Amino acid sequence: MTAAIDTDALLELVWAAPLAALSVTVAWGMVVVGTTRASEARREARSAAVALNALIAVAGALLFAAALVFGLIVLTAKD
Amino acid sequence: MDSDIILVIVVATALAFDFTNGFHDTANAVATSISTRALAPKTAVTLAAVLNFVGAFISLKVAATVASGIVDAELVTTTVIFAGLIGAIFWNLLTWYFGLPSSSSHALIGGVVGAAFVAGGAEAVLTGGLIENVIVPALVAPVIAFLVAATAILITYRMVGRLRPGPVNRGYRLGQIASASLLSLSHGTNDAQKTMGIITLALVTNGSLTGSNPDPPTWVVISAATAIALGTYTGGWRIIRTMGSRIIDMDPAQGFAAQSGGSAVLLTASHLGFPLSTTHSITGAVLGAGAAKRLSAVRWGLAGNIVLAWILTLPAAAAVGALTYGVSWLLGSGSLGPLLISVSLLALMAAVFGKRLRSGPALTTSPADT
Repeated sequence: MTAAIDTDALLELVWAAPLAALSVTVAWGMVVVGTTRASEARREARSAAVALNALIAVAGALLFAAALVFGLIVLTAKD
Repeated sequence: MDSDIILVIVVATALAFDFTNGFHDTANAVATSISTRALAPKTAVTLAAVLNFVGAFISLKVAATVASGIVDAELVTTTVIFAGLIGAIFWNLLTWYFGLPSSSSHALIGGVVGAAFVAGGAEAVLTGGLIENVIVPALVAPVIAFLVAATAILITYRMVGRLRPGPVNRGYRLGQIASASLLSLSHGTNDAQKTMGIITLALVTNGSLTGSNPDPPTWVVISAATAIALGTYTGGWRIIRTMGSRIIDMDPAQGFAAQSGGSAVLLTASHLGFPLSTTHSITGAVLGAGAAKRLSAVRWGLAGNIVLAWILTLPAAAAVGALTYGVSWLLGSGSLGPLLISVSLLALMAAVFGKRLRSGPALTTSPADT
């Protein structure tokens, strides 16, 4: 008996899984970098740098939240 | 009457398997969070237990059954299911004893394959299905997760390498709480459903439930969710130690890379309908996160033992499943065989666990208590 391996799904997994993981990594990395640098800038009273880094952190948090919501949708929509 | 007794034994054994699945696989979701101190051990297992319980209710679309397309469906009787469950419980307990993470689902499939082989001969095993659903995913999951986590940690170090370690570590510990929660929820949706599917199949086989693909009754859903949550709460600390600190000494960024990389692989595979093992994915990711930092940071001897356990999962569980079915068959078609085997297994478990508990600080206690 031959195995009916779903090669399309397998190939999609090979590029989609790394893309998803790296998106999450970069998103949370933006949160960590943004909050850490914003905190340092606040101590040095550099308001422009605070605003810029806070913006990076918020953008990262939104991306990360979107990834989590997508994960939850995948879980609930499973056949 | 005999068939009803066998049904009760199968339901109890399925719930026992669900319990071992919970404590065996807790490590997948929480080990890295515990080792990086993102969560206290008891908080981590409590969170995982609650989310496993909740996860069991999220999706009730139970597949035809586990091992569907792998063995001839016409040969699946309550005794075959029982024997398969015994094979899986045996392998889960053995690998837990040695602190080795292995796939509970593959153990269950192995057990059913072994029992079906004895019941119907070689034709009962659908080799194509076995390759498609077990062998290929077992090769793909750890490799992709390894590469994904390795790339993720390299990007992470590139992004945060010049920052002060204190805030960075705090940040990644926080991120780990989210990734561990998602993994626990995912585990509940995947694995509690397998037990629900088995019990539902046993009810159909026994004639207690009608229809070609009926939904599991409410009591089945609640009992399966409770069993996996209780097992998770019990915490398989031996495997948690292996995954969390014995394979690599992990920093919070590595823990986050391993968990989020493993989760991304699992959820993407789930979205594409490609069945991957949680254990294989997370273990591969832990190895990747360690090896990318420094190859020598990984304890490769232990990694080799884990891979050996993965290779042995199917044949070992199949052998026990086959033996269990054979003994049941020798004792007649009634409930005597399953009853005697269940009692023997309970006695063996009591002896093993009792001995461990009497011999000082047992490894069934959390790191916080030792």
